[in-house]
Amino acid sequence: MSLIDIIEKLRTKTVKKFAYGILVLLVAADFIIPRHEIHFFGDKIPGFWSLYGFISCVLIIVVSKWLGQHWLVRDEDYYDK
Amino acid sequence: MISEIINVQFMHPSAYYIIGGLLIPLFKGRIRQGYMLLLSLLAFFAVVNMPHGVYGVYKFLSWELTFGNVDKLSKVFAYIFTIMGVIGVIYSLHVKNDGEHLSSFYYIGGSLGVTLAGDFLTLFLFWEIMAFSSVFLVWYRKTPSSVDSGFRYILWHVIGGLILFSGIMIHYSVSGDLSIQFLPFHGWWPTDIHSLATFLILIGFIVNAAVPPFGAWLPDAYPAATVTGAVFMSAFTTKTAVYALIRVCAGSEILIILGVVMAIYGVVYAVLENDARRLLAYHIISQVGYMVAGTGLGTQMAINGVVAHAFCHILYKSLLFMGTGSVLYVTGTAKLSELGGLYKTMPRTMIYTIIGGLAISAFPLFSGFVSKSMTVAAFGEEHIMWAFIGLMLASAGTFLHTGLKVPYFIWFGKDQGIKAQEPPWNMELAMIIGSIFCIGLGIFYKPLYALLPYPVHFEPYTAYHTWETLQILLFTQFGFFLLLKKLWCEDTISMDTDWFPRKGAKAFMWFVNKPLVSFEYNFIGEVYEFIIQKPILHMAKWFKWVDTNIVNRAFNEIANLTLLWSRMLQTIQSGQIQHYAMIMVAGVLALIVIVIILP
Repeated sequence: MSLIDIIEKLRTKTVKKFAYGILVLLVAADFIIPRHEIHFFGDKIPGFWSLYGFISCVLIIVVSKWLGQHWLVRDEDYYDK
Repeated sequence: MISEIINVQFMHPSAYYIIGGLLIPLFKGRIRQGYMLLLSLLAFFAVVNMPHGVYGVYKFLSWELTFGNVDKLSKVFAYIFTIMGVIGVIYSLHVKNDGEHLSSFYYIGGSLGVTLAGDFLTLFLFWEIMAFSSVFLVWYRKTPSSVDSGFRYILWHVIGGLILFSGIMIHYSVSGDLSIQFLPFHGWWPTDIHSLATFLILIGFIVNAAVPPFGAWLPDAYPAATVTGAVFMSAFTTKTAVYALIRVCAGSEILIILGVVMAIYGVVYAVLENDARRLLAYHIISQVGYMVAGTGLGTQMAINGVVAHAFCHILYKSLLFMGTGSVLYVTGTAKLSELGGLYKTMPRTMIYTIIGGLAISAFPLFSGFVSKSMTVAAFGEEHIMWAFIGLMLASAGTFLHTGLKVPYFIWFGKDQGIKAQEPPWNMELAMIIGSIFCIGLGIFYKPLYALLPYPVHFEPYTAYHTWETLQILLFTQFGFFLLLKKLWCEDTISMDTDWFPRKGAKAFMWFVNKPLVSFEYNFIGEVYEFIIQKPILHMAKWFKWVDTNIVNRAFNEIANLTLLWSRMLQTIQSGQIQHYAMIMVAGVLALIVIVIILP
């Protein structure tokens, strides 16, 4: 089986469902993972970093796209004009 | 016995690159490839055999120049620079242009020279060699836009270099000492002459570290450079600046703020970017932000983290530039909007690039994890939570772009039906070596920790650290696929702080050509004629009489001599900045040679 076949095999619905399973597992297991160092309140909340990762991702995309649309993005020949 | 001989021998690794590199044009084909590889390996082993101590001290006029200051900090940077030298040389073996090889060799030699420099003058000399040799890696792309980018690149670096030099000179005039010292800058603004010197030195360094607002040269020049040139550039300039910052400015609080801002700034721009190599360039800024912030914190753990991160960063960032460079080399474009579906033709390149992407995202078992988490944890340890949270945010953004966006839009996304194949063997070999390092350092991190400047009391693979990272990264991935529609790329560019010089230059030229010229012509010209020109003409008549009758004969002979000289000089005044740059580099090298040869 070639490398390309393996890549194509990995792009199926089953793998996607498996990935969602991992996400659920990540949050669930965070209830029992021992905390060896607590720096601030977020370290005490199970699943905090899951939420933080997700919100960060959404924030970065939404805020950057907004900045881009309203301010930063220009046509490719902007500096030549 | 043999080890004793090797131990007392200090061979400057730059010598292989700078002196050995001169002979590259003499060889052709396989012999040249072998010669280049040999030089890079010899430089690496020169570093391996380098004992701690001070070497290569030469008297020059009233100064003492130190070329070899070897301690744990300079050695670990010399290690990674020479390792990167080997990988980069392998990646560029197929390049036929001698000039390109010479530029990259001088560039590497320059950064090793900075790393081992024991005094500010030597540091500055090699600092300038780096700037003037690396600009050719941009110019050799030979497209009109890369020529323009190269000019802007060199202007930024000349200005940064001058600021650094003025700082060094003020420091020298105050202290009378040129040796590299620890000179942290505290506060926001220089208050006396000492802090002015350290402030200017700091600014000079952070121009090269691409700290905003001085960092716009990086995403401008790197994507404009040649395929192989960008690989070298991604590794050396910013990391040499990080080394200099650690050496001189560690603990300057201002760097914490700049670093965290930088880490997020790079991520924001990466969302908007369409050119894969420019996206990666913005992620250099983001990653160097971690290092700058850690340097600002300045605790032992933070400095260890920064050094480890610089080490890993050079390897995974060059791997990413090699992967996207291969795509550019094969397909002729690095624009995400024009690529897609390449997994069918370049699957191996995809795997190397994803390995680089996982390493930069600090996935557990990849190199970024053992280094980035140490830097970030140092902020947690000191309870500076806003920086900790900000850097965590940037981590999510890093994975979002380099781990997901770049691979997705190049290898999957919309199949554009581009004809492609895997790159030449040497490019692939370099990527394999890079990948091995990226995974190897993530698993066997102890040897790297042993090289760090301070003893390490940090264990990356604790359950909570690993879990924390996995949660952030995998939920970022979830967010990426949810918002995929928003991320499709278009043919656009984003304005950065170089808007000011670029648009400013246009406004300045308009001002000079329109109002200033007419003002000069109509007003100053008239005034000049009545107040200055006419009286001077009268005076001149009198002087002419004196001159022709008394002075002339004596000067005739001198004039003839001057004429002869200026004719000779005229031949090197071509008016082309490339030639001036080469003459400057040659002059600096000649100076170094003179210094070494003179007793």
